[in-house]
Amino acid sequence: MKVVVDYDLCEANAVCMRILPEVFQVDDQDSLNILIEHPPEAMRDKLKEAVRLCPRQAISIQED
Amino acid sequence: MAFTDLDLSDPDSFANGFPHEYFRALRREDPVHWNETHFDVERNGRGFWDITKYEDVKMMSRNPMLFSSWEGGTNIFELKGDDLEGSRSMMLNMDPPLHVKYRRLVAKNFTPRMIDQLEPHIRDLAREIIDSIVERGSCDFVTEVAAQLPMKTIMEIVGVPEEDQQHLFEVSNKLVGFDDPELQGSFDEGRMAAAEVCMYGQKLRELVEECPMDNLASALYHGKVDGESLNPLQYNYFFLILMVAGNETTRTLTSNGMRLLMENPDERRKLVENPSLIPNAVEEFLRYNPAVMHFRRTLTDDYELRGKKLKKGDKVVMWYPSANRDEDVFADPDRFDVTRNIPEHLGLGIGEHYCLGASFARAQLRSIFTEILTRVPDMELAGPIRYLRSNFIHGIKEMPVRYTPATRSDAQPVQTTEGCPFHQAESGAVSV
Repeated sequence: MKVVVDYDLCEANAVCMRILPEVFQVDDQDSLNILIEHPPEAMRDKLKEAVRLCPRQAISIQED
Repeated sequence: MAFTDLDLSDPDSFANGFPHEYFRALRREDPVHWNETHFDVERNGRGFWDITKYEDVKMMSRNPMLFSSWEGGTNIFELKGDDLEGSRSMMLNMDPPLHVKYRRLVAKNFTPRMIDQLEPHIRDLAREIIDSIVERGSCDFVTEVAAQLPMKTIMEIVGVPEEDQQHLFEVSNKLVGFDDPELQGSFDEGRMAAAEVCMYGQKLRELVEECPMDNLASALYHGKVDGESLNPLQYNYFFLILMVAGNETTRTLTSNGMRLLMENPDERRKLVENPSLIPNAVEEFLRYNPAVMHFRRTLTDDYELRGKKLKKGDKVVMWYPSANRDEDVFADPDRFDVTRNIPEHLGLGIGEHYCLGASFARAQLRSIFTEILTRVPDMELAGPIRYLRSNFIHGIKEMPVRYTPATRSDAQPVQTTEGCPFHQAESGAVSV
């Protein structure tokens, strides 16, 4: 699976980073960096939580 | 359908607060409900769909092209001609891709990281507000506490000079109370207040024109949408929406939050004993009593939802207080519980139009409630609560409270100056 971010929507609320810091990093310029583009299956639940709770609904999961 | 229909276009349907019982029945029996309009049909049109379930509100919020804010505005009443055109100058009533471009002008000022930097200052302001009432033992909570922090902070980050703040505050009040005859005489008076706030935007524009400053007024003036600066009308409307959205909503959350704590002393005790729960309590305020009760969208295509055939052009209204008490999402939804783990409430919306000032509002709420709960923990009602007459903002106009008086945070220990007239004169002069 692949993490996809709609950067038109993302406003660095950093909710995803609190849920899954291994994958999402909001830097000190308020830019969101994806640290692991293809996260392992073990992270799926956390990833789904990040998708669900993103206030801007900017994250989606694309299946390989 | 066996309902005694409650016409939700009528602000009087909300006279005793949000009609939760009616919405509970709708969620159970007719969650996508056609509300035929009987109140002021001329202004409100023939009717609209009530959306009451959490998942449906979320779905609509994620699909701004299908559920448009641009087509007919975001309130139940109909906007026509110049009013509709004017409303489209405001971000609230835009759709993507334009909405994204406007929002980007100011979004960077409202990120959690930026607000974290402001929070110590917000805490100082909250302390001063409680200082101003703490010695007296009683006050009107709405005007003297809840209204103060939002007004001071939004005007500071926008860049309104201090000498203009009180006047602007009074005018801005009339914008939200547009359905309440006590706050303003008529719809037209609301329009006049909007015009006055817009005109003030012009003054701000002139202030930042020559000299860029570190505030929103300047960011808006010097920012670009598709390579173009905002024209004066767009600029003034942007200012207007910041004033309305920044003032009334956070005030309403503060007033209702305090009311909930006074009504639920056991919940308040948890916060007094463990202030680290305050951020979580703020989320419960947002879930239990969101400030904005509805936003309206207009369908740009036919759409079927829970078996109902919604048509292109239909007006569709999302009811946030109902979504936030959806039994399918929240356990025991009518219980106010400051320890509830509730990350998914819709008290600030979600998606394209998610509250731009969400972090800002949260920082203010944390600050003022930290001050209240540590310094006036025994606040109680001292008279009847008076609600705003509105189906849009769950506002409180007046809430008299009393509490054990305490000393100001800046109170100096009394110094003995006996035998030294010079000192006495000096301290006298300072205290005036």
